[in-house]
Amino acid sequence: MGGGLSGLTCGIRLQEKGARCAVISTGMSALHFSSGSIDLFGYNGHGRTVYRPFEYLDEFAGSNPRHPYAFCGARQVREALFYFRDQLEMEDIELYNNEESNHFHVTTLGTLKPTFFSQRSVFNEKVRLAFEKRSKIAALNFEGYRDFYPELAVINLRRNVLFRNIEIISGKIVYPDYGDPQRNPFEYRSVDIARIFDTERYLEDLAGQIRNAAGDAAFAAMPAFLGITNFKRHHQLLQQLTGLLIYEIPTLPPSILGMRIDNALKSRFAALGGVYIAGDTVTGGNLAGDMLESIVTENGGGSALEAGSFVLATGSFFSGGLVSEFSRVREPVFGLMVHSHAERSKWHAPEFFPRQGHPFLEYGVETDENLNPLTDDGRRIKNLYCTGALLPHYNPIKEGSGGGVAVSTGYRAAELILSGNS
Amino acid sequence: MKRIETEAIVIGGGATGSGTLRDLTLRGVRAVLVEKSDIASGTTGRNHGLLHSGARYAVNDLESARECIRENKILKKIARHCIEDTGGLFVTLPEDDPSYHGKLIEHCKYAGIRCEEISVQEALRVEPNLNPEILAALRVPDGTIDPFRLTSANVLDAQERGASVFTHTEVEGVLREGDRAAGVRCRDRRTGEEFEIYGEIIVNASGVWGQHLCASAGIELRMFPSKGSMVIIDYRINNVVVNRCRVPSDGDIIVPSDTVSLIGTTSKKVDYDRIDETTVDEDEIATLLESAEKLIPNVSRTRVLRAYCGVRPLIAVSGEMDGREISRGIVLIDHEKRDAVGGLITIAGGKLMTYRLMAEMATDLACAKLKVGKKCRTHRTALPGSERRADQARSVKFFTGIPNSVVGSTLYRHGHRIRNILHREKRNYGLICECEMVTEGEIEYALKKLNVKDIVDLRRRTRIGMGPCQGQLCAYRAAGLFVKYDSATSDESNKMLVDFLEERWKGIKPVLWGDALREIEFCYWIYQGLFGLGDVRFTEEGEER
Repeated sequence: MGGGLSGLTCGIRLQEKGARCAVISTGMSALHFSSGSIDLFGYNGHGRTVYRPFEYLDEFAGSNPRHPYAFCGARQVREALFYFRDQLEMEDIELYNNEESNHFHVTTLGTLKPTFFSQRSVFNEKVRLAFEKRSKIAALNFEGYRDFYPELAVINLRRNVLFRNIEIISGKIVYPDYGDPQRNPFEYRSVDIARIFDTERYLEDLAGQIRNAAGDAAFAAMPAFLGITNFKRHHQLLQQLTGLLIYEIPTLPPSILGMRIDNALKSRFAALGGVYIAGDTVTGGNLAGDMLESIVTENGGGSALEAGSFVLATGSFFSGGLVSEFSRVREPVFGLMVHSHAERSKWHAPEFFPRQGHPFLEYGVETDENLNPLTDDGRRIKNLYCTGALLPHYNPIKEGSGGGVAVSTGYRAAELILSGNS
Repeated sequence: MKRIETEAIVIGGGATGSGTLRDLTLRGVRAVLVEKSDIASGTTGRNHGLLHSGARYAVNDLESARECIRENKILKKIARHCIEDTGGLFVTLPEDDPSYHGKLIEHCKYAGIRCEEISVQEALRVEPNLNPEILAALRVPDGTIDPFRLTSANVLDAQERGASVFTHTEVEGVLREGDRAAGVRCRDRRTGEEFEIYGEIIVNASGVWGQHLCASAGIELRMFPSKGSMVIIDYRINNVVVNRCRVPSDGDIIVPSDTVSLIGTTSKKVDYDRIDETTVDEDEIATLLESAEKLIPNVSRTRVLRAYCGVRPLIAVSGEMDGREISRGIVLIDHEKRDAVGGLITIAGGKLMTYRLMAEMATDLACAKLKVGKKCRTHRTALPGSERRADQARSVKFFTGIPNSVVGSTLYRHGHRIRNILHREKRNYGLICECEMVTEGEIEYALKKLNVKDIVDLRRRTRIGMGPCQGQLCAYRAAGLFVKYDSATSDESNKMLVDFLEERWKGIKPVLWGDALREIEFCYWIYQGLFGLGDVRFTEEGEER
């Protein structure tokens, strides 16, 4: 239940090991709004950057036993993440990591986010070397693209000591004349532009423009809008044609970098024989004692879907995995026991950008270390596993851990199912 | 220190101050307005935007009711583009005292308010979402008025006629010369620059903040602030203003407003020293929603967008300070007479509905002191944008090629000034705020013509960020456009983005459940998770490594 990062990682692992799996997804997952990098552990409890996340995880798990990472253990987290990387590689998406260390990716506002895996257009060895050589950077944008303003990023980059002595210029390129007179090009979103560059027709023209605008820079940093489906090939071609490193910055949603991962996961799951049911929502299930026997969906016409094991990976409030009402938080499908504060005034911090983060981000379905939840009346369901953003006791934004938790708990659920846990 | 000389100084950029600035200017008086924040950012912008017919006051306060209906008729002519002539209903619920209905009809007659009894069936036809259990209904000429647009139009007109306006500028004190107030000492809150303005007459139109101002001139003026809270719901669930037919109480009114509906209001006394930090209390939200649900049952199934509150400026008229002499009506004080301090007038009390009348009264007195003989013309001179009736069909034809929805929204917000905003270049009508259909051209116009200093100001002029998403995408886009149109540096833009989101957050926090929480999770995810906006240090060398 849930076709996001966690659900699909779980499904892929299950299919690959010979268990038959169906994924039911309501719609677009949170990957469409993500950075497209996979964060593991970016910040410690004091908001300081974590440089070696696995080392940090080892000590962290001991003192935070209810954190999802603590359920998995550092070893399983590592196993899950590298498994995930290998699966994406089979779908032509190469994820780079800075060996055991985090690296930074640049945000739309020119701040830096520590992360563990990034796509090759965001981080790779050449990017690292060019950066270490203090090579000149050109921040480029399509004229009139309303979702990126390089000036707002450049000021913050220039101020960052990491970018000291690096020259950063900004420049403009213009849309190719591909002429759909019905559309207003000043209303294009990243995905509209990406689709233009899914064909090779405009690459040469684009390369010429980038070369001109970038001058003698070594990097051309651009918002991530250059292609979804054939990106690997197009990215290489563009680098050859320009002689520059083409660097991508995640944009306002929709996230092209995230959509590439979403596509790759679905494609990998399908290649392994998984069944992906799109556009349907699970509405409830039949519980018998401590087992979930079947579930029903909105479009299922009342017929029950039976399985030996079930995984609930329906996300947080935003994705509908959790629902908040005037005075309580609940899990809408099975009415599972939820961790939250009773008083609504405690759900949030006083400021919008609080140092300590917002408590509601740490709410979710209480589980044991096997990810099994409790029903509201206290029954533990042994063949239901909760994963990803639905889980409590971690703060994806404050910790910089959302992707890592989704992948490793999804993977953990698969491993538990495969080992015959339920 | 910079020194500015003028004839009249108006303090306060609410509806009354802006109206006074305009009236003075129309009578040929050179005038300067000083506002500590943005225009319409205080009490003016924090009510439910109801264009009263006066019916609500008819039973208890006939004088106010008469003022309301007179101004109602004037505003429908001079401020067409700020008004929707929706009409209004007074409905009696089964639990309400049925005799109030008859009393209201009678008192409306005394006040000169057209008040028509209609059948319940007819009321439900006019307003299908109404509670079908209602016992009786009256139709009155209520409507809606947009306080931001109204105030901005007054300021725009005054500026086009030569007035000067300083927003985000605080008056730090009144400058005395012997027994008269000769000017004010000001400080630009954004740059810190201090300067002085000298004038022959100072009009204090700073509303509830006037107590502090008068104190700086050695004058005692006591305000009795009362807080009113309101809730905005995310759909326009009613066509006409819906009032509850009873002695005025909490949560009696639901006003349609642009794309949303507003539920108002509560009334709570607040201490004067807390007027700048009022917040909406949890029990107020519960009261408002429960009461509104009785009028329109759909309310309980509609997403709540935000909650906000304003401070009513009730004032003590005489020297008596025990509160008995508090007036809800208009108060005009000639401090020369009352306190032997020349050159200073206070105009206070009243309502948004009577802002023009208040401005007229203040300007009459100011002109008498300045020995300017010209008569008031504000009751028959249309505000910019309202010169002609907005004709949607004609505008759509005139702007063929631009989406009708864009033409309609721009016309709705700016009336006849649409001709200064829209043109057939694709960049001009590209949408920046998709919820409220705000184009790049409208933003450019606001930045250049409407005294916009930050994104919060821009919201008041254009409705950017006021829709269902509360600025998720358009806030960043707007920040970028400030740089593009040279209205801010990159750093200022990043900073105003933080301020804007914090300002939106204030109104969302009290109603953080359901879809509001979902939306805020998404918004926080974008601005903190994706952008790291909370990590931006606005000083050199912020990052530690």
